[in-house]
Amino acid sequence: MNDGNQLKKFAGASQYVLDDELAKIVNITMALEMPLLLKGEPGTGKTMLAHAIAEALDMRLIVLNVKSSLKLIDSLYQYDTLTRLNDSRFGDSQRDVSNIEEYIRMGKIGQAFVSDERVVLLIDEIDKADTDFQDDMLDILDQMHFDIIEIDKTVKAKHRPVVIITSNAKKDLSDPFLGRCNFHHIAFPEPDMMKEIVRVHFPDIDKELLDSAVHTLYRLREIKNIEKKPATRELINWIRALKSDPDFKIKDLIKGHVPYLGVLFKKSPDLFIAQKAVGHFRM
Amino acid sequence: MFTDFFYTLRKVGVPVTPTAFLRLHKALSMGLINSVDDFYTAARSILVKSERYFDLYDQVFAHRFQGVELKEPDELELSDIARSLLEEWLKDPQMLADVLGIDESELGKLSPEELMEYFLERLKEQTEAHHGGSKWIGTGGTAPVGHSGFHPGGMRVGGISRNKSAVKVAMDRRYRDYSQQGPLTQSQMGEALKRLRHMVPVGPKDKVNVRETIYQTVKNAGEIEIVFERRLKDRLKVILAIDNGGWSMEPYVELVQTLFNYARSQFKDLKTFYFHNTIYNHLWEDPQRHYKPLPVNELVRFDSATRFIIVGDASMAPSELMGQNGSIYFGERSGKPSVEGLRFIAKTFPHSSWLNPVPIFEWRYTYTIGVIHEIFPMFPLTLDGLEKAVTHLMRKN
Repeated sequence: MNDGNQLKKFAGASQYVLDDELAKIVNITMALEMPLLLKGEPGTGKTMLAHAIAEALDMRLIVLNVKSSLKLIDSLYQYDTLTRLNDSRFGDSQRDVSNIEEYIRMGKIGQAFVSDERVVLLIDEIDKADTDFQDDMLDILDQMHFDIIEIDKTVKAKHRPVVIITSNAKKDLSDPFLGRCNFHHIAFPEPDMMKEIVRVHFPDIDKELLDSAVHTLYRLREIKNIEKKPATRELINWIRALKSDPDFKIKDLIKGHVPYLGVLFKKSPDLFIAQKAVGHFRM
Repeated sequence: MFTDFFYTLRKVGVPVTPTAFLRLHKALSMGLINSVDDFYTAARSILVKSERYFDLYDQVFAHRFQGVELKEPDELELSDIARSLLEEWLKDPQMLADVLGIDESELGKLSPEELMEYFLERLKEQTEAHHGGSKWIGTGGTAPVGHSGFHPGGMRVGGISRNKSAVKVAMDRRYRDYSQQGPLTQSQMGEALKRLRHMVPVGPKDKVNVRETIYQTVKNAGEIEIVFERRLKDRLKVILAIDNGGWSMEPYVELVQTLFNYARSQFKDLKTFYFHNTIYNHLWEDPQRHYKPLPVNELVRFDSATRFIIVGDASMAPSELMGQNGSIYFGERSGKPSVEGLRFIAKTFPHSSWLNPVPIFEWRYTYTIGVIHEIFPMFPLTLDGLEKAVTHLMRKN
């Protein structure tokens, strides 16, 4: 436990409210040097956690946004053949055309490996990628090195990065993938927790507004047949909208009048259903 | 240490791996875990990899560390046994009336739900009174008809004559009067396979073919000519849902399965599920449609790019498709019409199609074919239809 640098404890950050359970999991994961897979509803702060860890432990954050077209090799390094071809033809660049290494650029995972200090590597929305990508990537993160075949060089991680992987709750990831990481599911916060989260973002918020806004959110979440329920992110944006509207009165909210529904419901069928349901609130 | 905790977890169906277990021990030996609370969180994050198992984990944890008893699935088992007994007996209403001690005419007035309830009550009474020794409740060998050994779920409630509407008369399908001759036959297998070969995805042309580029550049007297080629893409995932209930589908079930199994190597993943007539809340992984149900809602967990292919004659009584509890099986009380489930699948998998062995010119005579046709793009199960279906499935959008 005295290995100071390695076992810096994570205990929340200025913009992030952390529950005990998650704090324990983050600390254990960091100690075991394993990737942490986070699942949960959109807007429960999966991505924010990585930002918070980076901020709290004063580490650099490298974000790999996964897209369906992303290939593993691109996240490791890129060999820019076209630039080299161009340079060899026109010969007007500063680069040495015969040295391939000058045309190798590190991808996000590569950057995390060659970094001189320990970094936080966030791999966001892993479920978007192919299962092959997922498995291969975990191999790399397991072994902490990869080869650049063009120049026959092995890149080894100088410091094991803290790896946070997020996934949309809907889809299953493959078993080998799951086997290699720790897992946590972030549940939707309880109203009290939610109030605390809002307070972090709006330290001077009126208590009445906070109570009724959070109350309204949980009521709205109970509307049936909604595809994408409003979550933390929507609530915070919504409160921001309410606060900036000079005509808004808290009493309206208590009475059941909900303005700016469009901020809370992003899909038009959802918005339609919500509008109808809110009509019933008033009665 | 904690080995039986590990094995209990496995026993209740949480997929825990030894590696994960060793990792937990590593965490323990590193002094990271100092209390039961710590252990609870750490063990869960290390051992359990899906929130679906969190509840099971909680139960086992409470059992192991707080001595809470694990729940046995008594109630469920009882009604399972009852259902299979009942289904068998319903083939002979006279006997059913006898064993239940009611008049056959009264029996006809009961709704299937009422009948089931009545039956279950009797069953409970009997077990309490005779502790399993009863003549007609026995699950082993004493019952007039065994509850095991016959095709479970495959037995239909059918024997009662058609005008007795009170008991759910799961009649044989009413639309069987189409040609028995299969449009696609074993001998056409090779041809059919060729059609399936087109189910290979192609990426955009954005990969530089270095060899060809050099060749063309040299040919071009040094003027750089970059040649792009198609990027290889991940191979397709395919879900095949086959209607294997009833004799009308029988000639095709094996055929379709063989067909797709031959083509398996070109798919990344091929899953086969079974259903009867139409899809309600579950699909089944086993052909008996009994042991391994997959809730239809779980389909969202699959990749939405998966090609969903349904093979079925789409012919059934309209109520099976449109009714709230349309299923012809007792146990299947979906609460919502099957047509909703089909729409859900079509929405979940934008690339889907329905292959129908019924000849295309007969489609308009069957109401349900028309309804399903509106939900899924439907193609006849012929060489031609297969080709069209493949083209449709491979469309970009």
